[in-house]
Amino acid sequence: MKVLLMGHPNVGKSVLFNRLTGTNVTVSNYPGTTVDYTKGYMRLENKEVEVIDVPGTFSLEPKDKAEEVAVKMLKENRDAVVVCIIDSTKVERGLYLALQIIEGGYPVVISSNMWDVAKDKNIQIDVERLEQILGVPVVPTIAISGEGIKELVSKIKKAKSVEIETIVKKVGGET
Amino acid sequence: MIELTVDERWDLIDKISKQTVKFKKYKSTLKEVIGELTVKPLTGIPIAIAVLYGFWSVFSSFAGFFTDGFLVKLFDEHWLPWMQGTFPGGLHNWFYNLMVDVGHIQNGALVASDSCFESFGVLTSGLFVPFGVVLPAIFIFYLMMAVLEDVGYLPRLAVLVDTVLHKIGLHGYAIVPTILGFGCNVPAVTATRILETRKQRFLMMTLLGIFIPCGAQLGIMQEVIPEYTGLIILYLLFGYFVTGFILNKILPGRTPEILIDVPPYQRPLTRNVMTKVWMRLSSFLKIAVPFVLLGCLIVGVMYLTGSMDWLANLFGPIFTHWFGVPKETVGPLVAAFMRKDLAVAQLSAIEMTKYQMVTSVVLVSIYFPCLATLAMILKEGGKELLGALAVLVASTFIYGGLIHLIWILLGVA
Repeated sequence: MKVLLMGHPNVGKSVLFNRLTGTNVTVSNYPGTTVDYTKGYMRLENKEVEVIDVPGTFSLEPKDKAEEVAVKMLKENRDAVVVCIIDSTKVERGLYLALQIIEGGYPVVISSNMWDVAKDKNIQIDVERLEQILGVPVVPTIAISGEGIKELVSKIKKAKSVEIETIVKKVGGET
Repeated sequence: MIELTVDERWDLIDKISKQTVKFKKYKSTLKEVIGELTVKPLTGIPIAIAVLYGFWSVFSSFAGFFTDGFLVKLFDEHWLPWMQGTFPGGLHNWFYNLMVDVGHIQNGALVASDSCFESFGVLTSGLFVPFGVVLPAIFIFYLMMAVLEDVGYLPRLAVLVDTVLHKIGLHGYAIVPTILGFGCNVPAVTATRILETRKQRFLMMTLLGIFIPCGAQLGIMQEVIPEYTGLIILYLLFGYFVTGFILNKILPGRTPEILIDVPPYQRPLTRNVMTKVWMRLSSFLKIAVPFVLLGCLIVGVMYLTGSMDWLANLFGPIFTHWFGVPKETVGPLVAAFMRKDLAVAQLSAIEMTKYQMVTSVVLVSIYFPCLATLAMILKEGGKELLGALAVLVASTFIYGGLIHLIWILLGVA
């Protein structure tokens, strides 16, 4: 099994990668710190699992070289579980990429990261309802302090692929 | 498997978020107020100048404190004399020359060097330059840069300089590779991947390779010619803008508008800053130090075999007439293929006027990127390296000649 960490630039993919694998890839507070992928390993139920830190991308239609690397990594790893990291203060934007990945048929877990910043901004996210609609695990995380990481790891094996029609039906109304 | 169209997807997201996300009222925090102040031009530009000036002052005083106050004494008063006394052979032994001291001619006799800037042995200058001068300089540089990166200041700086950088065919985000380049050009070239078009990437790599001096070079400049460092940096930045301006007119292709997320400010985590500084320092130790040693060795061998003299005589006329610098400058230019810091150290041991010194340091900076940077431009840009080299040759000759012309007009050359 492989785990891909994907999400928009500067949402904390590399911080999460370091947490999961115990390695030290460069982490900074500006978009575009990671422009190439890094591989690492984590233990999941006594098995070594490959984790790949993918450069940030807004969508699956690349607009620069770093995003090209991201899309290529996704396409090359058809069998991977994707941990989709979204910025909790910008859920809509994050969901765009998450839905694209779900539509591609990948099993997905969503890490709703920067949960603390969302709290500061008084943004309330109904995680249960979100899980219900999407049909994939959603875990609030603060990668920088490590909160929620254990739960995220425990949910990786519960990742599953979902038909987009199911989501459309669950949310009610037609698309 | 069905895929949605873009509109359908946004429509779906709209419905999902209506059921799951609520935006309640909140008071803006101090972080956000500071965030606003640093990005609005009226307050942002003075703050940017203050930040960069502060960066520079800390850098120059810290590095000078350790190098002048401690490391120069250690190397010149203890290490060099000890090596000269202990290492087998003497000034007339070629192996001793390579490893310890090449010596220099004084009143017709070959005498021992009395500083690690002159000795140019692998075990003396080869260790003094990276450990005695460059290491303290890049330590403080990387430390401050890591803090700036982690706080979240760089994207704000990018917004502020956007208008200016559009004039040279780039947009504000190009400030990130540029600032990284002042640390080391190698990661800076990789960072050009965040620029959208081929034109931007080519422009950025070319300007980085030619005009942005790295932390190691800045460190050694602060040590050997502190009084001219500012002037040299001004010359280089001027070249960066003028060359960029011209290239922007010539090159086909477009520059999109800047599209950037300005992240919230964050308190840097000590652990992360330390890890980052350590990673960068260790890559300096692993990659740069061998190049310095190798550079010392190659230059030493070239002096001993006479090929350096041959090169100096060959290119002498260009140096003396076009650039107005002594023909001995050819030695440092050879070293600059390996490492710029080594080249500047070598220049400092050549006798010349301060104007010639400024010209030759500018030449060493722009004439060729170091091997590591060159390899990275080749990897990232492929055949565009040839274009970059053409720009490089042209700008070295024009720019070097122009500086000489300025000196002539000022009556000092």
